[in-house]
Parts: sequence; structure tokens; C-alpha cells
Amino acid sequence: MHGDLRTAFKSGKTRSLAFRKEQLLQLCYLLEDNHERFAQAFRIDLGRPSEESELVELTGTLTELKDAYDNVEKWASPEKAPFSWLWFAMSPRTRKEPKGTVLIIGPFNYPVYLIFCPLAAAIAAGNTVLLKPSELCEATALLITELLPQYLDPEIVSVVNGGVHETTKVLELPFDHILYTGNGHVGRIICAAAAKHLTPVTLEVRPDLYTRDTGKTPCVIDPECDMKTAAKRLMWGKLLNGGQVCLSPDYVLVPATSQDAFISALKAAYYELHPVNPRKSGLMARMVNTRHTMRVKRLLDDSRATIVIGGEVDIEACYVAPTILRDVARDDAFMSEEIFGPILPVIPVKDVDEAIAFINEGDRPLSIYIFSSNASFKAKVIDNTQSGTVLINDTITQILVHGLPFGGIGPSGHGYTTGKYAFDQFTHLRAVADSPNWSVSHLSPTATRRPDVPRVNPWTGLTPHCCLRGTHRTWCVTYS
Amino acid sequence: MSCTPLEEIPKVYEGLKAAFRSGKTKSVAFRKAQLSQLLYLLDDNVGRFQQALHADLGRPFKEAQLLEINGTLLQLQGAHDNVEAWASPQRAPFSLLWYPMSPITRKEPKGVVLIIGPFNYPVYLILCPLAAAIAAGNTVLLKPSELSMATATLLTELIPQYLDPDVVRVVNGAIPETTKILELPFDHILYTGNGRVGRVVSTAAAQHLTPVTLELGGKCPCVIDPKCDLKTAAKRIMWGKLANGGQICLCPDYVIVPAHFQDAVVEALVAAYKELHPVDPRESGEVTRMVNKRHAERIKKLVDTTRGTIVIGGEVDTETLYAAPTIVRDVGPKDSLMSEELFGPVLPIVPVSDVDEAIAFIGERDHPLCLYIFSNDAAFKTKVIDNTLSGTVAINDTLLQIGAPTPFGGVGASGHGGYQSGKYAFETFTHMRPVTDSPNWLDSALMGARYTPYDESSFRQLNAVLHARLPPRNAASLGYFGCMAAEISCSLNWYRRFWSNRPNGSA
Repeated sequence: MHGDLRTAFKSGKTRSLAFRKEQLLQLCYLLEDNHERFAQAFRIDLGRPSEESELVELTGTLTELKDAYDNVEKWASPEKAPFSWLWFAMSPRTRKEPKGTVLIIGPFNYPVYLIFCPLAAAIAAGNTVLLKPSELCEATALLITELLPQYLDPEIVSVVNGGVHETTKVLELPFDHILYTGNGHVGRIICAAAAKHLTPVTLEVRPDLYTRDTGKTPCVIDPECDMKTAAKRLMWGKLLNGGQVCLSPDYVLVPATSQDAFISALKAAYYELHPVNPRKSGLMARMVNTRHTMRVKRLLDDSRATIVIGGEVDIEACYVAPTILRDVARDDAFMSEEIFGPILPVIPVKDVDEAIAFINEGDRPLSIYIFSSNASFKAKVIDNTQSGTVLINDTITQILVHGLPFGGIGPSGHGYTTGKYAFDQFTHLRAVADSPNWSVSHLSPTATRRPDVPRVNPWTGLTPHCCLRGTHRTWCVTYS
Repeated sequence: MSCTPLEEIPKVYEGLKAAFRSGKTKSVAFRKAQLSQLLYLLDDNVGRFQQALHADLGRPFKEAQLLEINGTLLQLQGAHDNVEAWASPQRAPFSLLWYPMSPITRKEPKGVVLIIGPFNYPVYLILCPLAAAIAAGNTVLLKPSELSMATATLLTELIPQYLDPDVVRVVNGAIPETTKILELPFDHILYTGNGRVGRVVSTAAAQHLTPVTLELGGKCPCVIDPKCDLKTAAKRIMWGKLANGGQICLCPDYVIVPAHFQDAVVEALVAAYKELHPVDPRESGEVTRMVNKRHAERIKKLVDTTRGTIVIGGEVDTETLYAAPTIVRDVGPKDSLMSEELFGPVLPIVPVSDVDEAIAFIGERDHPLCLYIFSNDAAFKTKVIDNTLSGTVAINDTLLQIGAPTPFGGVGASGHGGYQSGKYAFETFTHMRPVTDSPNWLDSALMGARYTPYDESSFRQLNAVLHARLPPRNAASLGYFGCMAAEISCSLNWYRRFWSNRPNGSA
């Protein structure tokens, strides 16, 4: 399979932009024609309600695919270098070249979005692709395996299915890029395997118990925020996909004096979103399998926090009730790993400084959510923390925003996976320069002077000096 | 040069981490001041650097000034002049759907970064990434190559004098020290060197999920079009080959030429060599020597075991580390000279039947860092470029493309993970952090439909707004007006769906 994909790449058929566009359009139609079947597959794999699948996964994916289709010419066209007196004679420009044969490994939680969006970017960039959908979502994986060869050229996209054994075999092969979405433990294995072939890797990972990464997505609450809207958007984000989204708000940091008010708001929001118990209404996805259900149950059993609502777990049905916990301590069981379930710990802190310190003690998360209308509160939190992304006054939706680079930092991953940024991940920027004969003269030592290092600002006539000052030896810039 | 004690290394790292967390590198003014100081570091000490490069590599002073020092100053100046522009946040392109969320991307430093430098261009290939890392707001641990000791010692002395020692530190040593460094969790690692150590660095980085930029080498081919200006081509090839004694990742490694043209090429190369070196470089000292005995022995073995014909040169003195500029003709694909990157002043010439065979020859091997084409025929150039892949392409010249304002980086075995030079290097050390701010009123204007329990009609309307409108399936065959008609019909369908009372998808 891998050999065939390489041969297809070398044949040059993916070079044609028209061909790539045609494949992308086919991918769009694959989704459009079969959205009922996909919604059904998600119901089987994750118990996800069809409206949620429609709105978030299917519509969201189609938007990204169409974006790739609309922009492939623009993204793939060579770029001229910015004008420079020294280099213009060499007509420097950058070609966008496909890397070759790429591997995309998908996760279980958004088994279509998180495999089709990178697939579209890889095709737009002109690569051939080996897809490995998650084995935890069997129905979706089977559907993808059935439909792809019907819609796309089977020479340029292949699907391989299996578990650890098959994935290990796949990773022994030399790819030109690997994109992995999943957990940090497997992320490390993939990076180590890729290192042997010097393969570049894009990672979208979440922290894992095994790795002791603690990059959990915090929500920072300003007590002066609109608590009703904040609570509603927070609960919506928490319960989406049963809490199994890499972007799910993991826990809440609120000033101790406002904890009661916020808990009330969260409860009210929950009952507004689910007037009927989700177990009966089926309006919330369940856990993907018993292993994850047992994992969450264990956290609940070990937790010393107070349960406000919920707390029930049915391992057989893979059902975890939406749960809110209050007075969660920083060393509670729920703070030891990313929850990836519909449980929301609320941690009281003294003030925003303690919240910031709390966030910085853990690893950098994929996102930070801030609920506030106060510009300086927002700025303080953003400026003093690091995270993959920031979203203010809402949850989850930042991944859909057009034109933003979506990616993690540190243990939450590296590389970007949306829009043009994903296209760039699968592209090699190949610089081309063409030197005319007459440019020999600019190389002679007499013609080339050492560049003038700016000592005097021509506007102010002042020279900057840097020196160490004071007892704390801080750097100061003075002008004279 | 003294190695940094192993137990010191984690402390150095902790110091850099604390400095990063203190936030002092956030200020763009601070970064700019550090970049000025870096410029002065080089500018004030040009003579000393020339001497160090001469001590390490026997590099002629003028070559050091022209290529390495001037080249580095240009890059450092670029970083200094542009840091504000590069670091300023960027608004997302306008979108009717998303503009209410004021989407903006902040350029944030990654944290503590590690830069491991090579021996061949020990100033350029450490100070240029250092400038980019500082411009991006990181704190930096530098590990210069122990093979170019005089330069490493000079850098170790000067850096704390010019730069804030909280923000940039130098660690020296060899394998034990580098292994110790690689156990630490950096936020980015940039390594320049060979593929073998590149794998070691990547494997160590995998344990911490650290992103890695590798600048490796490869065998850079020169493809000659018989119709090219052979005299200029030969001169530029020989100049590029002999720069730094052939020890540059970008040096033309071998020449590939149609068999019937080989004689002319050999003659032109020999003439060019004599023009560049009228005096034997062994006496004139105008060609850099090999960096150490191991590399001199390596090159000697390759030359001694070649089955090609030596036209000029062939002598390697492993005592004085001098390798004579050598041209070898009739080199076959399995020759010793084609077994690894030469990294020495030896130029094999590989005869092939035509350009198609040349392209196939290049395609069978790892992607090189650079592909050189000597031709004035646009179709010839296009054919070679379109049918190969390389880090960069330079036509009718060698080496200089690294200075152009284009992304310089490898692909496949020649490296990955970022690009050197200018803004691309800055972006390598930057995390792009998008920020969006969702106003309340969005929920009243359709976004409220996302909440359970779902209200059928508003859900349908929201889905319709977000749902992409697809062009007709066979867009290519419809022609311009056919597509327009299809677009109009698509839009009508969309409006109908938006206002319809029926379930989504069926109007």
C-alpha cells in the first residue's frame, strides 16, 4: 500500500491543481451525500445525538474541505520574495511543493473532522495519503474505508485499519510527514519512530496519565462577568461530545467568594440545556468505551470533592452523568490528568493572580478560556500564561474560525492543523534563485562592504546604549 | 576550551527557564536591544573571529569576512530591523461569519530553546538562529561545535559580555555534555549537522514532545545543460566547491553532465580552478583545510578508493589536514565518491546519457538540500525543477541563495521543521496563539441554536448558515456560464433551505 502510494506520487498525477481540486470536491460530496450514514455511525460509536454531529462534525468538516477546494490555487501558487536591492537580480521565489507520501492517524473523538480536514490539506498540497482511522470508532472507520475508494482516486488515498500491531507496522515505514491526533503517550512513540526516518511530525495531543503531562484546559472566571451566559457556554462546551473534545473546558478557576454564585449559574445552565435527563433524552454522547468509562469512574471514586449534581456512572452502558464538583483541591484525583468526560471540577482560588499561578504550574494547555468583559482582566491572563489558543467568553468555537492557526504548544502538541496552516504543514517551501551572469561584480571584496551596524538613529540623532544597571543588574537602554 | 561540568547543565537550563518565566523577554524593546548588542558583538570583534576561523579551519581571512561574517551581519541586521513587524499580532483575514469574534493571532515565544551549531560555519549557523530565537522572545541555550574550538571559546567569552546572561547561555562539550543537554525538556531544538546525530536529537526530543528543526546536508547535484555559458558555470561551481574547503551543507557535491559533453566540462572546470588558484592553495593558503584528522582520513579513503579518473589533485595530507582540490571524471553511481556527502574539496563528475537520466539519478537518492542547475533554457530548468524535489534550487550560481529573502530549509533527509533566514526563522521559534472573543449577542443571532434541547427551525437555520455551498460535481465540464448557472441554482437552493420548514437537506 505504502509502495503504491509512493509510486503514485512519483508518477506526478497529484501535481496538477485541477486534479487536486477534483479530488477535494469529491471528498466534499463524499460527506454531503452520506451525512445520514455518518450521523448513524457516530450514534453507534459514541452515542452522539445527530443534531450535534450534523452541526459540529459534519458541517464543520465540510467548511474546511470547501475552504481547501476554494483556495488550493492560491495556496499552491509560487510566491515572489519581497523586494530587496541585494537580491532582486536573482528573481528569488518560493515554490510550494508536496512533501510526498504522508500518514494521518486519527483519534476516536472526532473521527471524521480530525481525519478529513488534514486529508483535505494533504491533498491540496499535492501529497498521496495513508489514513489510519481510530479503531475505537469501528462503524466510522468501516464507513470511511468503504466510501473513500468510491469517491477518491484509490491510487492517492489508502486506508489502513487496525490496532497497536498494525499501527506499529505502519510506523516502520518512511513517510514524508506524519500528522497524529491523540494522546501524548502515543505521540511520543510516533515521534520516536519518525525520528528514525527523519520524518517531520505534526502533533495534536492531549495529556495522558502515563506521561504525567498536566496540560488541562482551564476556564478563568471574572466574578464581574455575565455569569448566566458564561455558565451556559461553559456547560455547552463541557457536555459537547460527552466532554471528549481536545478543546473541552476541563476545569474552572473561580474566586472563592464567587464560587457559590457560579455553581448556581452552572446548575441553572445545565437544567436549561438538559431539562430531561440526558440518559433518557439521548442528547449527550456517551463515553467511547468501557475502558474510558472505568477511567472516569476511578477518578470519581478517588476524588475528595463535593458533588453538586451527577456522579453516576454506568460502565455497561458507557454512560457518565453530567457532573459538577465544587471545592476541588489542587491535588485532587481530577487534577491528575485530562478528564475527557462530562465532569466539571470547580476550583476556588483567592484571586486572578492565584489562578494564573495555578495554570502556570501545570503544562501549557491547548486552550485557555476566559470569561470576562474587562479588558485588563483578559489582558492580564493572556499576557501571563501560555497556551495553544485563547477563547474569551465562549468555548470550543475557536477551531471553526476562518484564518486562524490552530495548534498546541509544549505537551499539547506542535504544528497547526486548520486551513492554510494545515496546507503549509504538508508543503515544502522550495526556494528558487536564478543568478544572471552580470552579478559577478557584486561579489568582489571591494564592492562588498560590511553592513553598517546602526549606531546612530537617523531620526533622533541618538545612539542607543545597552548596559546593566542597578543592584538587580537589569538591562537598560539609554540614548545619548 | 573547557567543557561545562555535567552537573552545571541542568542549573543553566533552570536559570533560562526562570528568566523566561520572569517575562523579561516579552518586551520587544528588550529583544531589539539584545539584537543590537549581538550586532556589536560581531562587528566589534571581526578580526578575532577571522583569527578563530583561521585557527579552526585554516579559512582565509577574506573568505571569512565576505561569506560568513558579512552574511551573519546581514541576517542579524534583518532581525534587528524587523523584530517589531514580525512580533506584532496579526488579524485574521476578514470573514463575515467570524469577524464579530475579533479573531487575532499573537506571536508568542515558545520558551527555552536549544541551538546546536556545526563546525563548518560556526558563527553563521549559531548566531543567525540565535538572533531569530531572541527576536521571537525566547531564552536560548547555545551549544557550539567542539570541533571548532577557537570559535566556541570566543563565543563563550563574548556572549556574556554583550548579551544578558539570564537570557542566553553557552554550554560547551562533546557527546556526554550534549547527551545531558538533550535529557532536558526544551520548547524547541534547532540542530545543524549530519543525519546520524539528527536522528539522535529527534529521538531525545520525542520524549518531551519537543518540536525539532533539523538542518542537515545531502549530496547537492549540479545539472549542466550543454547549451549553458560553460565558462561562468565552471567558475561558479569551482568557487562554490572550494568555499570553506567544500565543507558547507550547500556546496555543490557532484556534477552530472551528458556524456558527450564531459570533456568540455572537465576542461572548463580545470581552467576555472587555475583562474581561481593560480598559486597552489597549499602554498597560498587560499583553501580552507579539513576541520580535523578524522575528516581528512575520511576524504582520503573516498578519493583513494574511487574508480573514476582523477583529473587534478587527489592528494590528501592527513597530518596537515590539507586536501587538494580534486576533480574526478567518469564517476559511476556506485563509486565511493557517491556513497556519502563529500564535505571536502573533491568534485566528482558523473556522465549520463541525457537530462532524463540525470533526473532519474537524482530522484533515486535522498532529497538534497540544494539542486543546482546551469542552463539558460527555460524549458530545461522547468523540466529539472518540476521532476525533482530538493530543499532549495539555485540556477546558474552556487551558495548565495541562503542570503535571499526566501525560506531556506531542507526536505526529507536534508532536514525539516522550519526554515532559516529572515521571517521564516522567526516563525520557527514562535508559537502562533490565536485569540477570539465571543460577544453575547451571537447567541441571539443564530448561535443560540447550538444549545440543547435543539429547536428544529433555528437549528436548521444555523446549520444552513454554516453549511458550505458546494459547486456542481462536474464543474470542469460545465464551462464558465455553466458554472455560473450552477452557482445561482446552488444559492437559490441554499436560501430555500434556510427558510424551509422541512428537515435539513431536503427542500
